[in-house]
Amino acid sequence: MASRPKLSGIQKQVLALYRGFLRTAHLKSPEERRRIESVVSAEFRDNARNVDRRNFVYIEYLLRRGKRQLEQLKNPDITGLATLEVKK
Amino acid sequence: MAATMSAISAKAAGGYRTAPALVSWKGSRAQGRSLISMAAAPRSLRLVSLRTPRFRVYAAKAETVNKVMEIVKQQLALGAEAAAAVTPESKFTDLGADSLDTVEIVMALEEEFNITVEEDNAQNITTIQEAADLIDKLVA
Repeated sequence: MASRPKLSGIQKQVLALYRGFLRTAHLKSPEERRRIESVVSAEFRDNARNVDRRNFVYIEYLLRRGKRQLEQLKNPDITGLATLEVKK
Repeated sequence: MAATMSAISAKAAGGYRTAPALVSWKGSRAQGRSLISMAAAPRSLRLVSLRTPRFRVYAAKAETVNKVMEIVKQQLALGAEAAAAVTPESKFTDLGADSLDTVEIVMALEEEFNITVEEDNAQNITTIQEAADLIDKLVA
């Protein structure tokens, strides 16, 4: 029945963080919610593709950063988040 | 699975003796075990407790399964032909979803049915049927 490979602890943390973001997005206004969802999903997917899955140090750093951002986002005074592209 | 379920329930209605301890087909659980009389020999009270997943009779309603399929098709943005290939047994990964997509699908289902899925349960959902079963369990 469990036909998918068992997820490692770190993968579960990533998914839990993603779920946390989606839940928090619920609480904001609908337009903001869409923006949060697109930013968060784009970032998670990019990292999933670009970061080597054995690079635990970087992944843990990203997790810590994500948790901090999520805490800030949960604050009701915060109305949304945005990202900027920096041209190198 | 729906086909086998209806076949079994048709047989049960058709005159095989079922013991009073048996679970009703609506999916109510007697102490968390589903007992199904296989009635290999008619009129015998042979109760076989089948713990294999195929006989988990939670009896997810057809409309629940359909709603789940709709949401999955929408979330994964499936084209017309891919959408036609979706069955209750399809795994999300077969349909092209990765684990992030699965989280999104579960969130969409939570929103649609107004339920909250636990962390562990959410990790275990791999097919549409499982999602529908879980939903029915939480909604009931």
